[in-house]
Amino acid sequence: MKLRLKNVSRSFNDPRSLKRTLAVSDVNLDIETGEFITIVGPSGCGKSTVMNMIAGLDTPSSGSIEIDGVPVTGPGADRGVMFQDYALFPWLTVEQNIGFGLRNGTPGDGLSRAQVEARVREHIELVRLSGSEAKFPSQLSGGMRQRVALARLLANGPDVLLMDEPLGALDAQTRLILQTELLRIWGETAPQAGRKTAVFITHDIEEAVFLADRVVVMSRHPGRIRDVIPVDLPRPRDEHVRATPRFGQLAEEIWGLIRDEAYEAIA
Amino acid sequence: MGASMSGAVQLDRPEPRWADPARAMALPLLLLVLWQLWAMTLPDITRAPSPVRVAATFAQLTASGDLPMSLLLSLGRVGGGFVVALTLGIVLGIAMGTNRAIRAAIEPIVESFRPVAPMAMLPIAILWLGTGTPTSVSIVGYAAFFPLLLNTMHGVSQVDGKLLQAARTMGVPGFRILRKVVLPASLPSILLGARLAMGVAWTAIIAAELAVGAKAGGGGSGGIGAMMFIFYAYSIDLNGIVVCMIVIGLVALAIDRLFRLAERNLMPWKQQ
Repeated sequence: MKLRLKNVSRSFNDPRSLKRTLAVSDVNLDIETGEFITIVGPSGCGKSTVMNMIAGLDTPSSGSIEIDGVPVTGPGADRGVMFQDYALFPWLTVEQNIGFGLRNGTPGDGLSRAQVEARVREHIELVRLSGSEAKFPSQLSGGMRQRVALARLLANGPDVLLMDEPLGALDAQTRLILQTELLRIWGETAPQAGRKTAVFITHDIEEAVFLADRVVVMSRHPGRIRDVIPVDLPRPRDEHVRATPRFGQLAEEIWGLIRDEAYEAIA
Repeated sequence: MGASMSGAVQLDRPEPRWADPARAMALPLLLLVLWQLWAMTLPDITRAPSPVRVAATFAQLTASGDLPMSLLLSLGRVGGGFVVALTLGIVLGIAMGTNRAIRAAIEPIVESFRPVAPMAMLPIAILWLGTGTPTSVSIVGYAAFFPLLLNTMHGVSQVDGKLLQAARTMGVPGFRILRKVVLPASLPSILLGARLAMGVAWTAIIAAELAVGAKAGGGGSGGIGAMMFIFYAYSIDLNGIVVCMIVIGLVALAIDRLFRLAERNLMPWKQQ
């Protein structure tokens, strides 16, 4: 699926000052089918707002968002979302969380009970959670919760994966492992037509470079696209790519783009 | 919210299971013995209750079927009023918790009735509904309604918005989101409301039956509250009154335990 963001702006009423603040200003972006886009930028640059608008959970104040030429009017299972804090249902087990969309939503349309069961099983295995099916989210580690959320996202079979800092809460080692795993699941080894379209928000520059075909750098006040950096590292990528000079150059270039604002943010 | 896990410190050498219950029983048993010793100093014709006489009265009231019948009648009324309150409270609570307009329209009425104690509704209930079961049931329903409504409303309005968004992005239709996300997410609040409601319902039925008993002159309506009224106003049987007090307390305790047990079983994810 192709995504097109055309002159997208979003403004909010600030409840304190009663003024209108521009959270996202004039964003233009074309995302190709099978492309992996990462968005980096300082907090407050509107990256989550952009993602929510693509998901249909929020509406642009002006401009338009189109999927394969059709304007987005609301949420739909064609665009799966993985939320920052995972948004797992605490009262459902791992198995029930992963099967929630298939059993209650449009992704299960036309599937028999047995097909649904098979698909849930397949995704439990994909994220290596066999043996933990009957556990509740509160009984899982952060890394396991994250994998449940990923499996739930993928089990619904969305064409577009929207992920808002999904690895943010994990420790550094787990993070590195899951980045590679995410690329495998996204379809890195498949030809581009066999891959899903992915939009991934992060504040980690190296993560952004490692995953992306293109890194979108945003800046704030108002939130807008500062630059789009193509990542020409070969795929499939593994840990060793981080040690290459090109990786360092790209990370350095992106850091250069957000350095000033990052310092501003902690001042 | 009342997390019911008691965080007892684990000692290196575990004590036998009966150690804490034994400690808990010690003081009540001592008081019981003192009470009996005191009663034995009184002349034989006294009306003062003693543990032995209370036990005898309990046995006699149970054997005659008076106590079980009264208890059953009261419990039936509580059950009836509770079910009405449960249905109304949950339905209205969900409507008010999810819809701002409905809440704005209904909340003022609810808030103006809430401070009016159930007992304050009794005179008008007796005048309109008479001295029978309808009055008791309506007082119970009135008392139980508020905790159920307010806790359901609170629970529903506190549902994590991210969970609703997650369901929407999975193409789950609105009514199903209500059933599969909003309801389970607010279940802890609803069950808490139900437990509190049952507590006040049981308090209300005793008071209502006492008052109805007074109005009806001891005849007719029955129930454990009315039984108590008869012991008080007619036979002046203090032992009977104490039996009623103990039974009322034990039933309240049993109801509370039953609801806590239900909470644990209905919300397995809350354990640990």
